[in-house]
Amino acid sequence: MKRLVLTRREIPTRGGQPVAFLFGLAFALLVGAILMQVSGDPAIDVYQRMWERSLGSTDTWSVTFNRAVPLALAGLAVSIAATMGLWNIGAEGQILFGATAATLVGRLFPDWPGPVLITAMLIAAVIGGALWALGPGLAKAELGVSEIITTLMLTEVAIRLITYLEQGPWKDPEGFGFPNVTARPPQAELGDLWDRTHIGVLLALAVIGAFAWFINRSVWGYELRIAGSSRQTAAYAGISMRRKVLGVLLLSGAVAGFAGGIELTGTAVRLNAQISNGYGFSGIIVAALALMRPSAIPVVALAFGAVQVGGQSIQTSLGVSPAVSTILQALILFGAIGAAVFSNYRVVAVDRQVSVA
Amino acid sequence: MILALTFTEASVIGLLVAGVQFGTLLYLAALGETVAEKSGVLNLGVEGMMATGASVGFIVAVETGSPWAGILAGAAAGALLSLVHAVAAVGLGADQVVSGLALTFLGLGLADFVGDGYTDDARRSLFRDVELPGLDGIPWIGEIVFRHSPVTYGAVLSGIVVWFVLNRTAVGLGLRAAGETAATADAAGHSVLRLRFAAVMVGGAFAGASGAYLTTYLVGSWSQNLTAGRGWIAVALVIFGAWRPGRVALGALLFGFTLALKSRLAVFGIEFSPILLDMTPYLLTVVVLVVISIRARNKPSPAPAAIGIPYRREER
Repeated sequence: MKRLVLTRREIPTRGGQPVAFLFGLAFALLVGAILMQVSGDPAIDVYQRMWERSLGSTDTWSVTFNRAVPLALAGLAVSIAATMGLWNIGAEGQILFGATAATLVGRLFPDWPGPVLITAMLIAAVIGGALWALGPGLAKAELGVSEIITTLMLTEVAIRLITYLEQGPWKDPEGFGFPNVTARPPQAELGDLWDRTHIGVLLALAVIGAFAWFINRSVWGYELRIAGSSRQTAAYAGISMRRKVLGVLLLSGAVAGFAGGIELTGTAVRLNAQISNGYGFSGIIVAALALMRPSAIPVVALAFGAVQVGGQSIQTSLGVSPAVSTILQALILFGAIGAAVFSNYRVVAVDRQVSVA
Repeated sequence: MILALTFTEASVIGLLVAGVQFGTLLYLAALGETVAEKSGVLNLGVEGMMATGASVGFIVAVETGSPWAGILAGAAAGALLSLVHAVAAVGLGADQVVSGLALTFLGLGLADFVGDGYTDDARRSLFRDVELPGLDGIPWIGEIVFRHSPVTYGAVLSGIVVWFVLNRTAVGLGLRAAGETAATADAAGHSVLRLRFAAVMVGGAFAGASGAYLTTYLVGSWSQNLTAGRGWIAVALVIFGAWRPGRVALGALLFGFTLALKSRLAVFGIEFSPILLDMTPYLLTVVVLVVISIRARNKPSPAPAAIGIPYRREER
């Protein structure tokens, strides 16, 4: 009588993660198709429509690329926190507060020329995002309070803060009574590279490249990698864990806040609680699929952007719930988790008697 | 800000009753998460399991006309969904944070997908309150404590059962051992994987039942994003309650009152933005966690030591 057990490979199979990602994609499409067929939705039509409306035609590339920008930045924010073994689950809230801070600058200086105003708004967004991560960072560094819960709770606070601003202090006086924040100054709009693909694409790639350089080449990045991999080694080297924890969460928040600024000046007209659109949460899955590697984040973000943009198109045209897109994103990750087991482990058949303790 | 405070007896009792109702919602989910975490598995999918339980439970309750069937279906849906996390995080040793978050995605997505056709199906609470004979006549206390839906009594009973199983039975001992030092539990003859699978599914069932209670009793209808972050509060409540069913219940009541207060401010004649008050449970969670860690600074953490660490026998 034999039984199957998993034994760890000494070296993970090379190129395992891209294969796992592709497997996850296939797994998600298959399970999603079964789900839709069971509930009477035309799965093939849905997938065809999703492809046409995201990557399948050059007309819609702009929308998909623009969508990948906040996903990639949120993914980067999550992977920055992960260098110290931390989970920034609240990138969503930092995106929102970043956009709120950018809106404040827009309200204060509505007459500044476009490039100056955009720069000021983006800087404000970065500061705002970092500020929103300051509390959780201090609580984690000084007291060891789980950053998972605190960052997440502050997301709920940020949502309600914006709802409050919409209904009261920042309500558009010419909004016909609708609870909307006044639109940002029209000149504060990012320029386009081609079609409607905005400069944010380049900015996001630059930020990701800068962080990749920073973590691999700078002294701070070197210390970070030591501190993240071994607490004891870091202690011997005289590296302050508390400062690293705080620093990493602030940087993570800043990047997420930047995403909020890009959204406000790139694709949105005004601040609202939907401006973050779940990017902070999708970013966690993006980062996990990219194995926290900055170089892989843009690729995964583009794929997720396509799934999200495609998913939006199926409700109006086919009457299928856009929740399909959310389900697919989760299934991609679960499929990849399953597949990754085979690059890290080997399945071996062993005798039952030997293995049963 | 304060115009005229109108604390009538009826309004105060109403607030406390609603606090117990919201507390029931939070407690069911937090109790389940306590069981999962005690076995060493963090499941951040509570919000998703609650959402799926809410939509599946509502649909079954509407179609069968039985709120009990709804609660059972919600629990079954939550347990089934949690199986995905169990396979990924316990079976395959994936990161528990990532897998749990993906489970929240999956649960929220499935809830919307399944509930799509039921959004307009608004009706009154499907449960009747049960007045415990003899006790419900006690002034004040009778109304606040002894006139509730059967689910509230069920939640109290569940808390006692969970406490008993965890602390007074061999299975409970094995489960706690799996969450503290998995290798020791294994050496003592417990199957760590089986215990953790079971604990995660118990957690899923409670979260699903909590969601079904939300739609079949508290709200009486289903709509998108109905759970609104309450599953996440449940996760925080486990830390608040130091992984002990009794303390988690106290936390659930406290947070239940905060949630209930929001909709009742006007009754008390207090003029305060309900949206800002809406923030309080979330800010309160952060403040409470900070206060707990200041007080517990030089004490050993009450958290299960093996939480978040996958177990593989050949790597012990």
